[in-house]
Amino acid sequence: MNARHIGIIAKKEFLGLNHEKTILLAILLQLFVAMFSSFLMVGLTSMYDPSSLSTSTQVRYGIAIDGANTTLDGLLAERPDFTVYRMDLSTGLAALKERKLAAVIYVPPTAADAENPVQVTLYTLQNDIQTAVVQVKLKEVLLEYEEQLREVRSPRLSATPREVQFPIPQRSEGFYEFVYGLLVPLLVFMPAIIAASLIIDLITEEYQHNTLETLVATPISFPDVVWGKVLACELLVPIQAGVWLLLLAVNGIRVQNLFPILILVSIASFILILLAALTALHYRERTAAQFIFSTALVIVILFVVAVPGNPLNVIVRAATGAPGMALPETLAVLGVAAMVLGYVTHRYAGRIGRLAQLGG
Amino acid sequence: MQGTLASVLTVARWEVKRSFTTLGRNVLPLSVVLFVLLLLVTGYTAQSGMHLQDGIYSVGIDDPALAVILGGDTRFRVYTADSSTLEDNRGSYDLVIVEGRVLRPLTERGRAAAKSLERDYDQYVASVYTRADDLFAAYPLWIELEPVKSELSFDATQSGQYLSVWQRSGEPPVPEGPVEAVAPPAPDLPVAEEVLREGLERDAGTPDQIARYTSLLSDEPEYSTFRTPSQLSPPLPFDSIIFVFAFIFPLYFTSQFFMMSVMQERIERKGEILLSTPVAPSVIILGKMLPYLLGMLAVSTAVILAAGAPLSVLLPLLPVILFFLAFALLIGMVSRSFKELSFISIFFSTVATTYLFFPSIFAQVHVISLISPLTLIVLQLQGETITAGQYLYSTALFYLTSAVLFLVGAVNFNAERLFNELDFFPRVREFIAASLSRDHPYRSLVLLNILLIPFIFMAQMMALVLFFNLPMPWSLLLLIGTAAFIEEFAKSIGIYTLFFEGDARPGWKTLVLASAATGIGFLLGEKLFLLVMLTQVTESVFGSILFLQQGILLLWMPLLLHTACVFVTGLVLRTGGKRWYLTGLLAATVVHSLYNLYFILGWMR
Repeated sequence: MNARHIGIIAKKEFLGLNHEKTILLAILLQLFVAMFSSFLMVGLTSMYDPSSLSTSTQVRYGIAIDGANTTLDGLLAERPDFTVYRMDLSTGLAALKERKLAAVIYVPPTAADAENPVQVTLYTLQNDIQTAVVQVKLKEVLLEYEEQLREVRSPRLSATPREVQFPIPQRSEGFYEFVYGLLVPLLVFMPAIIAASLIIDLITEEYQHNTLETLVATPISFPDVVWGKVLACELLVPIQAGVWLLLLAVNGIRVQNLFPILILVSIASFILILLAALTALHYRERTAAQFIFSTALVIVILFVVAVPGNPLNVIVRAATGAPGMALPETLAVLGVAAMVLGYVTHRYAGRIGRLAQLGG
Repeated sequence: MQGTLASVLTVARWEVKRSFTTLGRNVLPLSVVLFVLLLLVTGYTAQSGMHLQDGIYSVGIDDPALAVILGGDTRFRVYTADSSTLEDNRGSYDLVIVEGRVLRPLTERGRAAAKSLERDYDQYVASVYTRADDLFAAYPLWIELEPVKSELSFDATQSGQYLSVWQRSGEPPVPEGPVEAVAPPAPDLPVAEEVLREGLERDAGTPDQIARYTSLLSDEPEYSTFRTPSQLSPPLPFDSIIFVFAFIFPLYFTSQFFMMSVMQERIERKGEILLSTPVAPSVIILGKMLPYLLGMLAVSTAVILAAGAPLSVLLPLLPVILFFLAFALLIGMVSRSFKELSFISIFFSTVATTYLFFPSIFAQVHVISLISPLTLIVLQLQGETITAGQYLYSTALFYLTSAVLFLVGAVNFNAERLFNELDFFPRVREFIAASLSRDHPYRSLVLLNILLIPFIFMAQMMALVLFFNLPMPWSLLLLIGTAAFIEEFAKSIGIYTLFFEGDARPGWKTLVLASAATGIGFLLGEKLFLLVMLTQVTESVFGSILFLQQGILLLWMPLLLHTACVFVTGLVLRTGGKRWYLTGLLAATVVHSLYNLYFILGWMR
């Protein structure tokens, strides 16, 4: 291996990327996804908890109730977000259709301690974003009512669950798990996947444009060519992943253990890049190599995710700052795998280089 | 006609043969192996579950028996200690359960942990109650959901206002229309106790989102309109992500092959043989595309059959398939190298997936979601019937844009365009320029702007979906600005390509005429499009920003606006040169936005 030669090849690939300005597209993509995910979160938060957005106006939804007089009336009236009216069902429904009410409830005359269940009918507007919100709020009230009824009928219960008291839920629970448990590993690993597919392009291009003979004729050995390309792709990963994490920070999502995460992603992407390079060296043709590699990648990711303590899980734990993330062990295992693969790639590329020289 | 068809089929046969030889004998066996592996791994993953979020929370409990309430949730690491130790070391746990009380720190993580624990607890409670001998003692309350169709149009809430919020006074609302007499519902559940119990058990046994999703595909049980209060949740948004992967992912994959096949023709001028045959470029394109189109349809059918969905799901998928193929054609024709091909296709697929996926999250909630054909699929899977109007509304843009893209592809499918080595943006510009006629610049400008309309609408729809989620004044303002910018950018494309090539600068007369032609084309396209469809969205406040309906205004007002704005861009370009392009665009956007603001705010008052 000749470090200078590797450097020359890596520089050549960087210049190529820079010249085509395709890297701009990648950055644009990052911005787009970051924007998209923050919009997604704002959207979902407002959908489930509209009050989290509007701080000044206390929204009150009109609810009509008809049928038997039960404790449900009182439960509804207690809530600050409902205005409850006793109304005739027909009139209520007509008002609902004109959007003058948010929901209509009909309570049957079933006694609280009857054999049969109490079957309440809830009328809401179809296809309406408000309905989802009202339903969430009504659910809380109905749960309380269910609890009351259950209490009345408790002598008939054969087993009761253990009781645990929860603190009063606070406004806007957020999307902690979605962000740290899904978004962060996804975003951090995306550059690794992009880099792996990039190396396939870089290698197959030499084959398909018949530029390999020229390269082999130079003093640079073929393994050096491959290593140069691997280096170019590998360098992109921590930069891109770092930009992601920076964008997340701008979005108000703070990720802990930044450097360990970047190191882990770099090693993991090194493995992916080497696997992709081997595939490309074997098939020498982009369509086949990309197809095989991406299918295999799906399988590998599916498998890895199903294994407890996998690297993605380690990233999630590291990002949340949860203790016991087993980072050194994971790094060691990945490092050994990377070294083995590096050796295999080096030997394989060397063989191909010798064959090309003999054949050329 | 028959001859054309025969040549299309011939090219298609070549294409199949070619792809089999390039993929070769050593790819096929391996892909079979990979497919088997995929099935095995999927099975393993389904059994073992996703271990992505393992151990992100720690919980300390004083009673080991309490671990039962976690139900084996791997997100929690459980530590047992006596109550006083736990009380003293509360800081080292995310949650502490002491004497039946959950204590949590007031951090984001603590809150999230408490929420997850509460969900687990609900699940545990449900599992106890579902086994109760007297089901109606454990579940004494059942809710029947009756959806009511509003007679008013939906734009009330679509405009972001809380219209169903009624007055503050204590007076009950009085309906203005006639009151239809409605008989009160019968007090008895028309469903057998065992059916309800089965439903409850299934719900309790399948806690994760993927499993919940599969129950959507199976036949809904009889009890579906009857729920216990805890089953009363709004539609789950993350479910539709599965659709994207089940339906869109194979399409994306296959379109990659087509993209690559087009690109292959350009490497080392391989395609010259094909181009030298006496068939039209459109025939070559159609022939090359046919195998992939059929392949995509076959894969989609397989997915549909595997999911047990109705075959009519193919209908909304067809325009998506065409859209992917059309873009694949152009990407294959434009990219200079493999890496560029990769980047552009990743970029395109992300944007397209966003457009398709994002709205479908709100499939059951909001009409806006219909702009994505995926929403139609979600609705179809839930057993709703799709009206022709809905179909047209959500697929027309896809059909139109695909048609325009194929047109551009066919015009440019020649040796000169395929084999040159220009940079990306000049290349794209050349593609557009080739579709324009230099002898009739104004006529082509009109035509170009008409054809650009579906793309503009698509981009604006995306903006609408993105901004729809923001609170009211912001969503409106952002939408006005973005919509104006998109329109100004689109309008400037024609003038920029035709008159600012190299160092060329148009004369004043040319610029004015070109601006007018652009304005006319734009207005014509817009009006034509609105005439055909889109009455639904245009009636809302949001729609009026996008497609400002000038029912009351004279047509010359928008014409003047469109002409003036593109003239502003041209003016800046002419005086400042190409480096001022963005400045020109922004200036035009400001003018455009002010106009829109004036009219919309005028209306809203």
